[in-house]
Amino acid sequence: MAADSASSDLDSARRARLAEALMRTGRGDRSAFEAVYKATSAKLFGVCLRIFPDRNEAEEALQDAYLTIWNKAASFETGRASPISWLVAVTRNRAIDRLRARGKAGMTSLDEAAEIADPAPLADAQLLASGEDHMLHGCIDGLERRDAHFIRSAFIGGATYADLAEREGEPLGTVKSRIRRALIKLRGCMEGAS
Amino acid sequence: MTILSEEDIAIAGEYVLGLLDAAGEATVNARIATDAVFAAEVEAWRQRLAPMLTGDADAPAHIWGNIQNALPRPTGQDVGSGKLLFWRSLTGISVSAAAILGILLLQKPDAVAPTTPEIPLIAALGSETGAASLTASYEAGTGRMIVTPVSLDTGELYPELWIIPADGTPHSLGIVASNKATSMTVPLEARQYMGTGGTLAITPEPQTGGPGGKPTGPVLASGKITTL
Repeated sequence: MAADSASSDLDSARRARLAEALMRTGRGDRSAFEAVYKATSAKLFGVCLRIFPDRNEAEEALQDAYLTIWNKAASFETGRASPISWLVAVTRNRAIDRLRARGKAGMTSLDEAAEIADPAPLADAQLLASGEDHMLHGCIDGLERRDAHFIRSAFIGGATYADLAEREGEPLGTVKSRIRRALIKLRGCMEGAS
Repeated sequence: MTILSEEDIAIAGEYVLGLLDAAGEATVNARIATDAVFAAEVEAWRQRLAPMLTGDADAPAHIWGNIQNALPRPTGQDVGSGKLLFWRSLTGISVSAAAILGILLLQKPDAVAPTTPEIPLIAALGSETGAASLTASYEAGTGRMIVTPVSLDTGELYPELWIIPADGTPHSLGIVASNKATSMTVPLEARQYMGTGGTLAITPEPQTGGPGGKPTGPVLASGKITTL
């Protein structure tokens, strides 16, 4: 459809601008860094709020994430990753480091797991189409509930295989191969659906 | 063209979920740098899982000011060539004496107090943001140096250690570990630079070191060599 291709042109132009600003940030350009912040702070604050539901902690995590982005921007390679997924990954990893440093990492509650099926409201800057949201949620629903819960706990709660093995009372190796099978299944579902 | 096995695909997913141990993560980082097909699978996992993390929320207005205040103070021109940037980031870095002493007291006695009566040279490497810090102790007699990261993150790159004598030319001392102490013997030809007044610095570089033996990344941490 014409409207779709116009919006995807807009997306790719936005992505190219962001990649350029990120690379200039890597060379120490503060105005480029500010452009990165303006284009992405709402999205990355959303990431921090998922990991730290407490607003103050999320704000600290966000500041910390941008300082990490400033320090690591030189390692961003435009051919290897889209700028937004690189930024989300840096923010998520930094926030999980903070969570672990405070001894708060681990399995999320099952109530929170239910939120997977509750897609976040879409804002203009959100780069993932709602279709992909639904695809992930639909495919996660197709996994065994405990596997889905663990995948979410790892990604958002910083849970490790050891946390899961302890919770399930199963050997580490068993838990690992179960999650690996779940990942293959999840990918198969998402690739098949696209 | 690489065909990814199911195991490769699962490892890429585990990497994005943060489930790999340090060794596994380092292996994946190296593979991302060299294998475009595998790198694309990592990127695909990031995009597949992203909806779990998304949900935009406007950040409070004061956050940007706080971030700006925490950045290292600019000295001179803001933007420059890699080389200019290297020097720019070397200046304006200060590590308080208290921090140096605090870190040294935490070190194992044998790392800083060799059985020989020789006084070791030490350096505390830091950055203004406090994002990266390391300590180094060096025995001139044996050429042995121990580099201990306190906090160091070079992402998908590797921390390369440089000695910069008074003339300002960086000489590589090799890649160090970012998550544990590295014990190394400083090459004979570099020992002449390992005196007080020299500066040790860390930059993020490819696994094989900065191309042509020169630093290409920004200085993450640096500090002057001094006596205890």
